[in-house]
Amino acid sequence: MNGLYIICEARGEEFRPATYELLAAARAITAATGGEVTAVVAGPEVTLKAKLEGLAHRVVTLTAPELTPFSADSWVDALAAAIGAGAPRAVLFGEGGRTREVMPRLAARLGAWALSNCVDLRVNGGGADAVGGSTGAGATDGLGGASAAGAAAADGGSALEISRPVYGGKAYVTNLVPADGLLLAAFRPHSFDAGMAPAGLSTAAEEVAAPVAVSRVELVERREGGPRKADLTEAAVVVTGGRGMKGPENFGLLEDLAAALEGAVGYSRALVDAGLAEHAYQVGKSGKTVSPTLYIACGVSGAIHHIMGMDTAKVVVAINTDPTAPIFEYADYGVVGDVLQVLPALTEQVRAATS
Amino acid sequence: MRVVVLVKEVPDLEAAVKVTGDGSGLEVEKRRGLNFFDEIAVEAALKLKESHGAVTAAVGASAGAGVEAMRRAVAMGIETPLLVDDPALDGADSLTIARALAAAVALEPTDLVIAGKQATDDEAGLVGPMVAEILGMPCATRAIGLEVEDGSVLVTREIDGGEEVVRLPLPALITAEKGLAEPRVPGMAGTMKAMKVQIERTDLAALGVQAHPVLPVVAYRTVGQRPPVTMIEGEPADAAAELVRLLRQEAKVL
Repeated sequence: MNGLYIICEARGEEFRPATYELLAAARAITAATGGEVTAVVAGPEVTLKAKLEGLAHRVVTLTAPELTPFSADSWVDALAAAIGAGAPRAVLFGEGGRTREVMPRLAARLGAWALSNCVDLRVNGGGADAVGGSTGAGATDGLGGASAAGAAAADGGSALEISRPVYGGKAYVTNLVPADGLLLAAFRPHSFDAGMAPAGLSTAAEEVAAPVAVSRVELVERREGGPRKADLTEAAVVVTGGRGMKGPENFGLLEDLAAALEGAVGYSRALVDAGLAEHAYQVGKSGKTVSPTLYIACGVSGAIHHIMGMDTAKVVVAINTDPTAPIFEYADYGVVGDVLQVLPALTEQVRAATS
Repeated sequence: MRVVVLVKEVPDLEAAVKVTGDGSGLEVEKRRGLNFFDEIAVEAALKLKESHGAVTAAVGASAGAGVEAMRRAVAMGIETPLLVDDPALDGADSLTIARALAAAVALEPTDLVIAGKQATDDEAGLVGPMVAEILGMPCATRAIGLEVEDGSVLVTREIDGGEEVVRLPLPALITAEKGLAEPRVPGMAGTMKAMKVQIERTDLAALGVQAHPVLPVVAYRTVGQRPPVTMIEGEPADAAAELVRLLRQEAKVL
């Protein structure tokens, strides 16, 4: 069976970009390998299913009442049943908090392989440039680079390969997706281009209302943050402030630039540990891992802890007063200067260029 | 109350990682220690030892390693270290590790299992929730607050876009996020004790654990260095203008 399942996930009234990216990757792959793309939508997100029309061969909706609001216990039950019934070759998730609650437990229940942090999935023998085109700079150079030169797989069989960084991005490992057996894989945002494969499929609908377990976990209280909070790992542009920002009185400069780029703001560990910024916004090993299209490090020195949180960004800009700061080794573009002066100028230029 | 911490020994963040010539393997410098998030988990367990008289244990699963991590946990104050040491765990699939740890936890009735949110080497975050599933325990990931109640725990946890407070009936498993506890630095007495401690060992056969097959590796690759950085000179206004031009015309990300 060559089918690919995508577990769709929404933020508010729209699916995450990762959902569309994974659907496109799956369409590109199944065009080469055969098999169907199945989009799985559960619980509160079932109301959004019309947005998936044409993007998959099949949309499976899971409608048991216990699935709303999200609870890992009920979702694991429902997804295990749906995946078990469809016997796909692989199930693709977008990296995120919810995936990290559900995917490992599904793997344990189904006896499946599970991989986190994936950045590329491709047909062995050259399909990669069709499939992995938009992976981060590090990933493309390290992995996609070899395949980007290759022609598209004519009949490269149906062997699938999947890649991810290990040891904080110091190395990448590529695994074979076995033809028999089930793989669950979580992909970082921006791993694929949502426009890489044509849509316009004829989409069949299927509803599964099978009963699922009631969650053992009682929700006492949920505090949703502002939109900025939700955006950090998802954003196409991340502007991160480090020690060079001096203090919170200057954080508005980061927010101004992020707003001009429609991006999100992150902070380095130095600022979080000093109590100047919240851990929820921290980029790095002990904070969030981001994989945006554009990453702008403002007054960040570039300690390995920080690099681990952003090394799969596609294009990296570093602004720092110290020309020997390690961050420049991980940057595509560097500006030596005081962020407090460069940032307002940059924001102004971005506004002028994009208005 | 018995609290078990799942611990992993990982390479130091600064350890050198080299891909062997033909891309078939990785050489990782042997500077190892207890995983960052597991130290937080150990501290959370020790807090329960002090506040609720909990009995604490640490379990790890490894092939011929893991002693450093165990000693650190003991030096901090964990009472019982247990290591599943089996050659079959070398490069093992996450599910094999989870099965081994779950079986080791289940050797004695356990009320609470605390794992790190993820390990700093693969950052996968798989094993903790897998162990919960295998043991049939409810699970809360990314805990930043923990209170023990009668027969349950109240957990404050980070979620995408905010925080939530949840109540889990015991036995349960939680994974530790930065902020759950501030790991103590072991004192002299703890360090001495850790040096002398007998680490109990077991293996997969004794635990009755079946290994899950390993996913075949095609190749390892080093990260392709980014092209050398393009440094932009000039006064802030000029540098900013040039940067925006490059981001638009060369990188095409604006």
